[in-house]
Amino acid sequence: MTVKTSFSEKLFNFCNYLFFILVGLTTLLPFVNLIAKSFSSEAAVISGKVNLLPIGFQTGTYMYVLKDSMFLNSLKNSILLAIVGTALGLFLTTITAYPLSRVQLRGRKWFLLMFIFTMLFSGGLIPTYLLMQNIGLVNQFPVLFLPAAINVFNMLIIKNYFEGLPDGLEESAKLDGASNIRVLFSIVLPLSLPVLATIALFFAVAFWNDYFTSMIYITNQDFKPLQLYLKELLVSSSSEFLKDNVDAALNTTPQSIQAASILLATLPILMVYPFLQKYFVKGVLVGSVKG
Amino acid sequence: MKKGSWLAIVLVLAIALAACGNNSAPAPGSGSGGDGEGNPNLTMLMQYSLFDPNADPVAKNIEEATGYKVTYEMLPAESSDEKLNLMVANKQNFDIMKLGSAQFYKLATAGALEPLNDLIDSQGPNIKAAIKEDSWESVTIDGKIYAIPETGSGISVGEELVVRQDWMDELGLKHPTTPDELYEVLKAIKKAKNIVPLTGTKDSIYGDIAAAFGVLNDWNDVDGKLLHKAELPQMKEFLTYMNKLYSEGLLDSEMPINTSAKAIEKFSSGNAAMIKLAWWSASSGEAALVKNFPEAKIGIIPYLVGKDGKSSIGVNLATTWFIAIPKISKHKEHAIKLLDTKLKKDIFIKLAIGEEGVHHEVKDGKYYPILPKFNDDLTNASSYMTGVNEYDYPAYWQARVRKDPVLQSYYEAFQENAAKGNIVVDPMSIAPPIDAVSKNKQKLTKLLDDTVLMYIAGAQSIDSYDTFLTQWMAEGGAESVKEANEWYQTISK
Repeated sequence: MTVKTSFSEKLFNFCNYLFFILVGLTTLLPFVNLIAKSFSSEAAVISGKVNLLPIGFQTGTYMYVLKDSMFLNSLKNSILLAIVGTALGLFLTTITAYPLSRVQLRGRKWFLLMFIFTMLFSGGLIPTYLLMQNIGLVNQFPVLFLPAAINVFNMLIIKNYFEGLPDGLEESAKLDGASNIRVLFSIVLPLSLPVLATIALFFAVAFWNDYFTSMIYITNQDFKPLQLYLKELLVSSSSEFLKDNVDAALNTTPQSIQAASILLATLPILMVYPFLQKYFVKGVLVGSVKG
Repeated sequence: MKKGSWLAIVLVLAIALAACGNNSAPAPGSGSGGDGEGNPNLTMLMQYSLFDPNADPVAKNIEEATGYKVTYEMLPAESSDEKLNLMVANKQNFDIMKLGSAQFYKLATAGALEPLNDLIDSQGPNIKAAIKEDSWESVTIDGKIYAIPETGSGISVGEELVVRQDWMDELGLKHPTTPDELYEVLKAIKKAKNIVPLTGTKDSIYGDIAAAFGVLNDWNDVDGKLLHKAELPQMKEFLTYMNKLYSEGLLDSEMPINTSAKAIEKFSSGNAAMIKLAWWSASSGEAALVKNFPEAKIGIIPYLVGKDGKSSIGVNLATTWFIAIPKISKHKEHAIKLLDTKLKKDIFIKLAIGEEGVHHEVKDGKYYPILPKFNDDLTNASSYMTGVNEYDYPAYWQARVRKDPVLQSYYEAFQENAAKGNIVVDPMSIAPPIDAVSKNKQKLTKLLDDTVLMYIAGAQSIDSYDTFLTQWMAEGGAESVKEANEWYQTISK
């Protein structure tokens, strides 16, 4: 049975589509413009002629960026960070969530409160920096993932999911003589793959996109991740930075190379995102409704 | 069993943390402290620039020439002042720091920097020989030297008005020589081409038009007294004139928000006929323009003359970088030795522009780079500078300008035009750090620039300038002017 749509409904749909297409374009067009710039000749970019199509097509910018050791090194760092950070973060967050999801844990409420407290309040930037300095993490690669390895929000999502699992499963495993660890790894985790996939994605994207941590703690070129490199590439060509610094002004990075760098840096996450996006949507709901 | 698994988890965590802590123990910057052979590793903090300071060929050259292995660290590109404060507050170890003037002043007055008088006297003969008497003033606070001053490339001007010469020829216009003539030229171009002829940027408000009105430098000597440009009576005339251009559509209405890239974009795409161009942007700017309009030509407008019939150009020779040794350094004598060796005549030229015949050559007494070797090895040499030989460096430095004939031609044309006029050096260039001035400079500059843009754009009436000036004075201007003049009296006696 088809429902006849009235004129006003059609009009409403039309307006809806129009609106969302426009909203979509506002985010898409700058990106297209960036792609066009990265393939255009520098002269065309400088004179602002490039809109949606490249002018004076060239690929030399990409050759240049792909040979640039600073770009490659920071790309390597970002990939390493995303992998190590996600693995460690997922592991630590899970083993924190599991005990907290068990009602028999003594002082569970108190522990939970402590975790949630850190979610709402933090020591502030400078005390945190002092702490990192004192435990020797400043300017070291682990500073990029260790402090963020347990994310309380993600932990709560996993905890809720664990709580949603039927108690009987654990009970029957215990009756068969399984230890707590065994229950976690053989029973609970295999049943929790959807939530783990989602949280892994949360971690990976957060680590990939994070530039603030590295900006604060890292000055050593060897450990800079891609996002920091990009930020510095752009800032070091801005007119505020170059003001009164003739020597820096003589060595600026051409705009087309900046565009190519940004694009190459976005590409990896852009390629995996469409395939992972559904987990994002699922993930936030996962564990929120108890059966 | 329950307890056992808990313990296991805690243990794993503890080990993981401990392992990471151990890895980071030999933090870069602590220096290995005398490895038996005498010269310790030194650590130097430098300003941000887009390259890897420990992998650059210049770093290797410095090590070879001085015998010191130096580990370099850079401040971040953004929020560098905050990061510097954090590092100093945390007693992070550096042996040498290259600081901007505000950073230097803050650390010096906070007592974080080592007074260098004795060290330089005993270990720094080359430093003494390289740096002029005047420059030491800028790093002396209460009779103590807290840094080695690094001045730039000597007297040079950066920007000048340029115009689309092909249009000027087409319309039969001559280069304007005064602001009034400039107004007529702009009007004629607007009429013929139907564009907004003059573009500009928010970062470069003053310059040749302002100079023609007598607004030359931040600080100006008027009858033996220092006046800040904000208090100059000529400021109002300049603003009235700019406002006239703006309201008649002769000055780009986006000037208060333009970046220099945006302004060059307008000029090179034919949407503007005149721009105040910096010679370091000239090369790419001209290339883009000619690409778009093969027949286009750029003409350089000589510096405009003021009411006195002469052109004046303001120049600031203030120390740009301050090379300091923090109190926390464990190798102060070695640090000063390194700085001294870097300024030894034969080593300095090698570090600045390389070896003759390999990196540079001398033609008619001028230094020319040999490409691409010069670029390969020396592109970032300026970042490593820790003081320059003030007698030789301006000549050496020009090799950088001669990397590109277009760049060179603009640079030389600008300097030549400036030399025809009256070059006025900002009297504060040689001032020591003055408390009120250093403290208020950033705030006052921003306040003035923001307000001036509003006057130019007509958002405020120029009649209210005196009210603004009172506010500017109240927010620190008055004490700056007072302390600046107290210093000025002591040297003009």
